[in-house]
Amino acid sequence: MRAIRLIMQRELAQYFSSPLAYLIAGAFLLLTGVTFYSDLNFSLGVRPVEPALIPNLLAQVMIVFAPLLTMRLLSEENREGTMELLLTAPVSDGNIVFGKFLSAWAYYTFILLLTLLYQFILVNIALPDISHTIAAYLGIWMYGGAALAVGLLFSATTENQILAAFMATIALLLLYYGDSLGRVVASADLAYILFNLTLQGHYAASFAIGAVRAEDIVYYAGLIVVALFIAIRVIESKRWR
Amino acid sequence: MIEVKNLVKRYGTFSAVNNISFEAAPGEIVGLLGPNGAGKTTTMRILTGFMPPSEGSVKVEGFDVLENSMEVRRRVGYMPERVPVYLDMTVHGYLTFWAKLRGMKQPNTQVNQMLERFSLGDRRNKLVRSLSKGLRQRLGLAQALVHNPPVVILDEPTIGIDPQQVIEVRETVRALRENHTVLFSSHILSEVEQVCDRVIIIHKGKIMASGTPQQLAKKYKPGVHLYVSLSGRSQSEIRALLESLPKVDNVREQAAGFVLSSRTDADLRADVSSIIAKHQLTLLEMRLVEVTLEDIFLNIVDKR
Ligand SMILES: Nc1ncnc2c1ncn2[C@@H]1O[C@H](COP(=O)(O)OP(=O)(O)O)[C@@H](O)[C@H]1O
Ligand SMILES: [Mg+2]
Repeated sequence: MRAIRLIMQRELAQYFSSPLAYLIAGAFLLLTGVTFYSDLNFSLGVRPVEPALIPNLLAQVMIVFAPLLTMRLLSEENREGTMELLLTAPVSDGNIVFGKFLSAWAYYTFILLLTLLYQFILVNIALPDISHTIAAYLGIWMYGGAALAVGLLFSATTENQILAAFMATIALLLLYYGDSLGRVVASADLAYILFNLTLQGHYAASFAIGAVRAEDIVYYAGLIVVALFIAIRVIESKRWR
Repeated sequence: MIEVKNLVKRYGTFSAVNNISFEAAPGEIVGLLGPNGAGKTTTMRILTGFMPPSEGSVKVEGFDVLENSMEVRRRVGYMPERVPVYLDMTVHGYLTFWAKLRGMKQPNTQVNQMLERFSLGDRRNKLVRSLSKGLRQRLGLAQALVHNPPVVILDEPTIGIDPQQVIEVRETVRALRENHTVLFSSHILSEVEQVCDRVIIIHKGKIMASGTPQQLAKKYKPGVHLYVSLSGRSQSEIRALLESLPKVDNVREQAAGFVLSSRTDADLRADVSSIIAKHQLTLLEMRLVEVTLEDIFLNIVDKR
């Protein structure tokens, strides 16, 4: 536990002193802000505001942002050789991976909380369905955790940050749009199964419309566990090489 | 205390370390001496719990590296060959992080002691990024010692730093002897001679010889080496002239000149000067060469 906390703290400090992390946070707020503003302008008087607006946007944005937030977490340790020190410290491989993951998730939570600002504005001018919004935020928080875990996994495989981000983006794209394959083969059953394996399958059909289902939470938690487990295995395998 | 018995490490089918055994006791500095690729780093990585052995038993302070990896890691201080650092941490933050990760609850006193000991105190709040190679080397040593481990493993700690710093590092290592078991690797014979109580020479994963520096020096240290670079004649003519010198036992081409070796302690410089005068050559460069183990091995290979 102590090791996890130490590693997480170090990484969090890195996030809060890294220009890239601030850029990402800035882009996050800009994107969500612009979307919020235009939706507000458009919807006023025409239709009710969309309570899950910002989480819906983030569902796609995280395909790019999660790899950017996680790419250096392990690849930099690999490249700089500090991995050798970490792996010879009295700390398990799992603690290393978990500490890193928690730092990324905590930083993501921090920017996500910043976007709540828009929701507060909204509450004052329109009457959004607050429980709907809360469900969507819960969903995108879990979803983001899963995307970050996938990003971290690819960071473990290489010394090259750009490569890590690139591979993670591809993997996330596949995870997100994987169900299009089912449509290609024109089988409704297959499409349904595939849809339920994708990132969007467990977001768009539930959290986005304000429904919290246990199976969706289990899906994202499961994805986190699987990705972190593989990341630990990747690190272990480096020892045997 | 380090005990290595019949250690084998294979990468695929290639044996980087091939059945070596040795021991190191507290209060002893043991040197691993070998040319590049000998298997020094591999041996050390196994001792620090970084990678498991393929065969054999390796114990540190009585704990097996496979069965009790965490206990071993708690008792070892390690400075890897490349001296890895976190560039974006402060000097103080870096040491504190490693001290805590190695289990110290309140490392502040020890961290400050280390900063003083390695003259890094005035840079405690500077980013590691701003440190020169030599200072990073000191930081690496501080990192390996901050938790006061009984066993200290240093992989080529003097590589790539300037001579003054090399002397400092050697002195630091010698000072460790009192309270630690130290394993130190190098490919420079003279260095191991100065620093270590006992030397193990490894080559291609095997132990070639071991003993006190005095014993080894007698056996392996080949007199004087001189690098000369001359012009005025063709290189082959120059080589022939150099080889004709009575005190020169071996001539080996290197860069734009030759390395002359003599098994006696004779000063070859006078002889070379006489050739230059006699044949009206131009002297481009002449300097004494520090004997590395690599040179010795190359020499042996050359003669065969
Ligand atoms: N991870 C690895 N995979 C394959 N071969 C390796 C690996 N690490 C080292 N080697 C090889 O093992 C041999 C010993 O290497 P090393 O222990 O680094 O030697 P030294 O530290 O004495 O220079 C070398 O031939 C090197 O190429
Ligand atoms: Mg080495």
